[in-house]
Amino acid sequence: MTISTQTVSAPSSPFKVAKPVDPLYRQIRDIVYKVSGIYNTDEKLYLLVDGCAKRIKELKLRTAREYLAHLTAHPSRDGELRFLLNELTIGETCLFRSMPQIDALRKVILPEFAADKTRQSMKRLRIWSAGCSTGEEPYTLAMTMMEESEGLLKGWKVEILATDLNDRSVEASKAGIYGDYGLRNTTDYYKRKYFVPTDGKKLQVKPEVKKLITFNRLNLSEDAKMLFMKGMDLICCCNVLIYFDGTSKAKVVDHFFGNLNFGGYFFLGTSESLLKLNDAFHLVHFPGTIAYWKPSLKSGKL
Amino acid sequence: MTTTLAPNMLERIKRIEVTPAIPAILLPLMELLKAPPDTVEMDEVVRLVSYDNAISAQCLRVANSPLFGLAAPPKSVSAAVVSLGLRRVESILLTCCMGQAFPVKKWVLDPVVFWRHSLGCAMVCRKFSEKLTDSDGERAFMAGLLHDIGFLVNCLAFPEEFIKAMEVAQSEQIPLDAAEQATMGFSHCESGAVLAAQWKLFPDTIQVIAHHHDVENAESAQALVALVHLGDLLCRMRGMGYGYYERRKVDMISDPAWEILAKEHRELEGIDLTRFTFELDDAVGEVVELVSTVFGASPVHA
Repeated sequence: MTISTQTVSAPSSPFKVAKPVDPLYRQIRDIVYKVSGIYNTDEKLYLLVDGCAKRIKELKLRTAREYLAHLTAHPSRDGELRFLLNELTIGETCLFRSMPQIDALRKVILPEFAADKTRQSMKRLRIWSAGCSTGEEPYTLAMTMMEESEGLLKGWKVEILATDLNDRSVEASKAGIYGDYGLRNTTDYYKRKYFVPTDGKKLQVKPEVKKLITFNRLNLSEDAKMLFMKGMDLICCCNVLIYFDGTSKAKVVDHFFGNLNFGGYFFLGTSESLLKLNDAFHLVHFPGTIAYWKPSLKSGKL
Repeated sequence: MTTTLAPNMLERIKRIEVTPAIPAILLPLMELLKAPPDTVEMDEVVRLVSYDNAISAQCLRVANSPLFGLAAPPKSVSAAVVSLGLRRVESILLTCCMGQAFPVKKWVLDPVVFWRHSLGCAMVCRKFSEKLTDSDGERAFMAGLLHDIGFLVNCLAFPEEFIKAMEVAQSEQIPLDAAEQATMGFSHCESGAVLAAQWKLFPDTIQVIAHHHDVENAESAQALVALVHLGDLLCRMRGMGYGYYERRKVDMISDPAWEILAKEHRELEGIDLTRFTFELDDAVGEVVELVSTVFGASPVHA
């Protein structure tokens, strides 16, 4: 007898072999990584190639080499990098975007929180979606928490804070209306349980989900306001820090570290790195995903 | 080396119905490949491999797979080395050799899953080793490839007990070695060490096989054992584990193995672990394809 589940069997179709890519794009990948922390693996290098192609066309350049020169030597390189990052992250967001992150949350992090004596005495969790865009992330978090409300989190109070710099994003978040694209990863189970039909083909998040979330405009660079965001157990900040320069990024990350409770977690986007900006965070691995952890006091590894 | 296995268990390993015979060319091959890549005597490698028709044939089959997309498929092992480079041919040869040692029909573990993890770990260990100064990448590769051979011993000598252990691991989502301890009272580390000693593998490799789950107890080569321990964990967290969800968090920096490795390699502190994690994903495609070619479509029956 061979024990195997669906997930363990070998793929029947030939594995996608990455097409040979102009080594210039690996150079561009390095530049993008150093500045923003975004890393496109070989398999996803085509995203970078596509993004560059759009920028090359826009700038009326001819080759990747010319674009690389533009990106490294041109006086407007900082602005150009921002345009390229926009291309790389555009349209990435949707509800339930990263299942490995959600699995890590439900299967490892929440049980850890639920077993933690300090948190147990308060029975309260605070979660912050920093840079919530149009609300996909905070709603995903809220529904995930609601799924645990009769299990691990029975009797717990969960507060989710969702902030964005952009007023229009905050308003769109509050409305919570999504079409097929935003719902492409949302299963029928969740659609039926947490949404109501609206605007023809679109779905709107039910009020009981919204109740868990407080939406606000917030600029992550405003030190005074950042100091007030204390007591978080989980902070998610996806593809936002990539737009900050080195110094201000380090400052925001230090704030996040300070805002987290001991034993709390910090999630970035799936291809995003903290670039060793803050040595006090521990990089931790979960199956298929990573997070940064503020060690608990008892681990003595702070 | 002393073993903690009960005498009756040892007897059973010795009486395995089909004793895993080490392919005659494996040890001399490993000896040759231990040299730095640019000093490996290629003629010797080719001569050695040509003694074993089955392995030569399999090596060519893999070299001709779409993975490598060669315009002119190599017709001989030496041509394969020229087209693919020594590193890749080495992975292919060692994987084929190991496939011959353990006939698939006796397995209670999916061979594709097993070899994917073993070869994945080998590659991760080599990449990890390359990040360190004065660390032997080839030694790390071999150690990674062989670290879990105890699972194969368990398949052959203790199939019923091992099936039980696998079931417990999958249903409780716990590491396989913990499930072995709980159900069998010993793990693949002990049984693997017995076979490794019978095979007269290098003492360092035996230490890795015996202690990759309790690094601090290794009697020698502690840095190598620690490196394989960490490589094994990384592999399992990046989709090359044993094919089921392991409900766990890996905090490498707090792992005792990290400290042991850092004692010998101060530069470990400077590694960008997040980027390293992303880079590993680049190797996954190649591992999956190589293993599917050797073990997937047409299983090897030695």
